[in-house]
Amino acid sequence: MAVSEQAQPVSGAVRGRQRRAREEELLVWPDLVFIEFIAAVLFTITLAILSVLVDAVLLDRANPAITPNPSKAPWYFLNLQELLLHMHPALAGVIVPTIALIALGAIPYFDTSSDGQGEWLSTPRAWANLIVGSIVGFFGTLLLIFYDASMHVRLYEWVANPGKSKFLSSGELDPSFNGWPESLAFLKSLRSIETELSWPDALTSIPLGEKVLRTDLLGLPAIPLEINVAKVIVEQIIPVSTMIGLPILLSIAAWKVGLAQTKRDHMILQFSGFIAVFVILTIIGTFFRGEGLELVPYTIYSHG
Amino acid sequence: MATGEQPRGQTLGDRLYDFAFKNRVWKSIFRSGYPNTPRNQMLAVATNVFLHLHPTRIHRTHVKITHTFCLGGLSFFLFLGLTITGVLLMFYYVPSIERAYGDILRLETDVRFGQLLRNLHRWMAHGMVLTVLMHMMRVFYTGAYKPPREFNWVVGVVLLVLTLLLSFTGYLLPWDQLALWAITVGTNMVGSAPILGEPNRFVLVGGFQVGQAALIRFYTLHVIGLPLIAAIFMAVHFWRIRRDGGLARPL
Repeated sequence: MAVSEQAQPVSGAVRGRQRRAREEELLVWPDLVFIEFIAAVLFTITLAILSVLVDAVLLDRANPAITPNPSKAPWYFLNLQELLLHMHPALAGVIVPTIALIALGAIPYFDTSSDGQGEWLSTPRAWANLIVGSIVGFFGTLLLIFYDASMHVRLYEWVANPGKSKFLSSGELDPSFNGWPESLAFLKSLRSIETELSWPDALTSIPLGEKVLRTDLLGLPAIPLEINVAKVIVEQIIPVSTMIGLPILLSIAAWKVGLAQTKRDHMILQFSGFIAVFVILTIIGTFFRGEGLELVPYTIYSHG
Repeated sequence: MATGEQPRGQTLGDRLYDFAFKNRVWKSIFRSGYPNTPRNQMLAVATNVFLHLHPTRIHRTHVKITHTFCLGGLSFFLFLGLTITGVLLMFYYVPSIERAYGDILRLETDVRFGQLLRNLHRWMAHGMVLTVLMHMMRVFYTGAYKPPREFNWVVGVVLLVLTLLLSFTGYLLPWDQLALWAITVGTNMVGSAPILGEPNRFVLVGGFQVGQAALIRFYTLHVIGLPLIAAIFMAVHFWRIRRDGGLARPL
């Protein structure tokens, strides 16, 4: 009797679900259990072979007195460590990941339609949005990283001085070398907006006193607050507006050209962009941040 | 009710079959007979504590490998593998800054299959982060987070965070330069949060720098605290898959 109860289709439990046609169904034993078993066996074999061939790394004994250069977090946090280079640490280390996780969790509460449910990318423009979102996220982030690493300055100097070295053989700067124009020095990188523009003192140190951050109420030492407008613009305002503005611009552009028409389209566009940004930040942080976290090719564990 | 079982003549094979699958011991363990008939196959799934998370029947598109790539199941499989190798590793490891590094060296050189054990644990841990991330992408691109499965997606995001935390807490345990400085960088990120960051970092590290207090905290979280929480969320996650009507289907 247990069988006839068990065999009832689950329809009715789920609103709107049509009765499943019996001939469309398979028995879990053996059809699914077999696949699960094979997958487990294949993974066990693969992992065993990998573990025989490649040893887990073990460097010297931990020594708080010797700081390796570069010091890196585990690979899945290197995207955040990469962000850290371009904005205020509180933003990159805590606020951005927190908001990203909340946004991720909130996806089903924004996209409540049942379009494309249960099938791979089955809505009409799903693939197009995936591809556009991934490409824009990947290369857009790469361009921003290149900008902050002054790659455009190097490119300009390379183009403007064909076959010429920046330094003379004596080690001094070549006076005939066409460098990046002085008047545009603030465009060398994000940080040079703060360092290369002459900000008036009235803007770089606005005292707010100890009464703004009431850390004393939490039993912590009082922190006298001083606002440096230039720093705030470089470390907070520009990064925040970039991270919020560019995805919005992308969605608006995709909507205008008819690429993203439904909520699901926008979701795929933004989610694919997010994954691409995550991937490129992780790649750069893992393989292209060397000594002093400069943008150079880097072999993991080579400092060991 | 048709059981699908055919009447059999008594050949030697049948006698062996009866001896193996129709004796009291077998029947006391598995209530159903050997799962070679549709009835017994459904009973095998429905009456087995390990298999009963499955429905007894499933839509034919859901057993296609390319629909799920088994990613959720593989994440769970890696969690089980990590539990087994992790328990074995605990036999040889003492979470003290004087002993930890030496224990890992001894594990690699003195313990039979010790290096293999550590490698398996390490690669499974990296693998689990990857499979969990890819599982999330699979669920997103198949639209499987849509109603009525919204909450299970949220549980999944929590499990992703727990997976990262499990991996992060395990990273410190070998107590080598890689571990110490990765955790120093990671916990400094926590410390950079406005106002509450520094107190939180202090609680996590148990002091101003990563030392003995941090090691014992990370160890305890890694071997019991976080796995327990993850197991609870996994139970909810799997239960909700069944409650919400199995894998998502086009309406």
